[in-house]
Amino acid sequence: MSRCQEILDRVGTLPPLPDTAVKLMQVVNDPAATVEELVEAIQYDQAVTSELLRICNSAFFGLSRRISSLTEAMIRLGTVKVLQLVMSIHTNSMLVREQAGYGLPPGALWKHSVAVALASSIVAQKVKLPNAGLVFTAGLLHDIGKVVLNSYVADDFAEIVRRVAEEKLDFRQAEEQVLGFSHDHIGGRIAEQWRLPEPIVRCIQHHHDPDALDPTDPLVDNVYLANSTCLLLGIGIGEDGLCYRANPAVMQRHDLSERDLEDIGAQTLVELKRVESLFTAGDVPPANPAATGQEHSNVS
Amino acid sequence: MDIIVDIADLAVSNDPRATLVTHSLGSCIGVAIHDPEVHVGGMIHYMLPDSTLSPEKAKANPAMFANTGVPALFRAAYELGAVKKRMVVKVAGGAQLLDDNGTFNIGKRNYVMLRKLFWKNGILIDAEDVGGSISRTVRLSVGTGKVSLRSRNREIEL
Repeated sequence: MSRCQEILDRVGTLPPLPDTAVKLMQVVNDPAATVEELVEAIQYDQAVTSELLRICNSAFFGLSRRISSLTEAMIRLGTVKVLQLVMSIHTNSMLVREQAGYGLPPGALWKHSVAVALASSIVAQKVKLPNAGLVFTAGLLHDIGKVVLNSYVADDFAEIVRRVAEEKLDFRQAEEQVLGFSHDHIGGRIAEQWRLPEPIVRCIQHHHDPDALDPTDPLVDNVYLANSTCLLLGIGIGEDGLCYRANPAVMQRHDLSERDLEDIGAQTLVELKRVESLFTAGDVPPANPAATGQEHSNVS
Repeated sequence: MDIIVDIADLAVSNDPRATLVTHSLGSCIGVAIHDPEVHVGGMIHYMLPDSTLSPEKAKANPAMFANTGVPALFRAAYELGAVKKRMVVKVAGGAQLLDDNGTFNIGKRNYVMLRKLFWKNGILIDAEDVGGSISRTVRLSVGTGKVSLRSRNREIEL
């Protein structure tokens, strides 16, 4: 069996995204969706609902009265916030594992994914792109292909890195040459198989090469900028490091400056630290046990 | 004992058994300082050059920016008895995305700001490993002052 075929078959064996997550994404993709429809898409998943209520009632939100239902959570915290939390819960188990091929310890890919999701929402606000739920979800799932390619990258890591260093390829070009696929394109296949809404599939598939689309897509640009910012800041990055192509045209299209990127980065980090505290407070394994509690000699 | 210095964080120690560690330096810069006479070590992992971007964020967390964080790092080390003229200073990070046009250059601006700060304050860099497109992990042993740097499959002493 050829390597390419083997990798494609692997996509087929991935556990499906939970029905509730798929349904939720379809609702998110519909700007006219109502609170009732959103509740409907979540409420049959007991595990997610109870985890959501636990987080909503954590000290973080500082609510004076307990939230006891999904509808109440949506009304008091806002639908966008609730959707973001639900999607983060859904993807946690999938993304939290170690991805050794990419040099990502347990928790690192999830942290990176949540950071890109948050950054995507921040960029969307800056460039006034509507549909925050969709933007967040696209950011959250952009690197899903790494979960499939991980073991293949591990086998061929030395060759991929050699091509990056000697032939001046970026990491995904090297993946494509050595393995037949890059993680973004495999991610697109997974998203199709999961029947995710088309805009999300596009974001996953083109998060490193937004200019491959004609016409370009503001949502894809958005995820590209968010991912680039998080790579720069080193949030949950692995051995592929920053070996991806910078694309100044995307910044020009949205009239963003280098300073805007800095601002996006600063906001992302502040929000990421808040979200991490939500998840590390509960039963989700932290990325690095030592990193969750500050040593008393840390000054800042 | 490892003391983890997170992104936008700084730490100092005078415990000779302690090792200050920072992971995943991309365009951010890690500065490790060490006074060998009193065995005081310090490390910062700052993410952006200039606090004028957001004075409120700098107030809440000076270690986010070079111009507020690096002076805070030195001050914290002085409080433990370190002296400027004995300080050994090592620098790593400041990586970039692959780019021929010099955009997305937070790493470069982070480094330029550090040089400027050190120039004004008469501080010399003893060793550095900056630039490129790699992620770096830096460790400083407070007891020995040894700084090691790991990136991809390369591990060196700085």
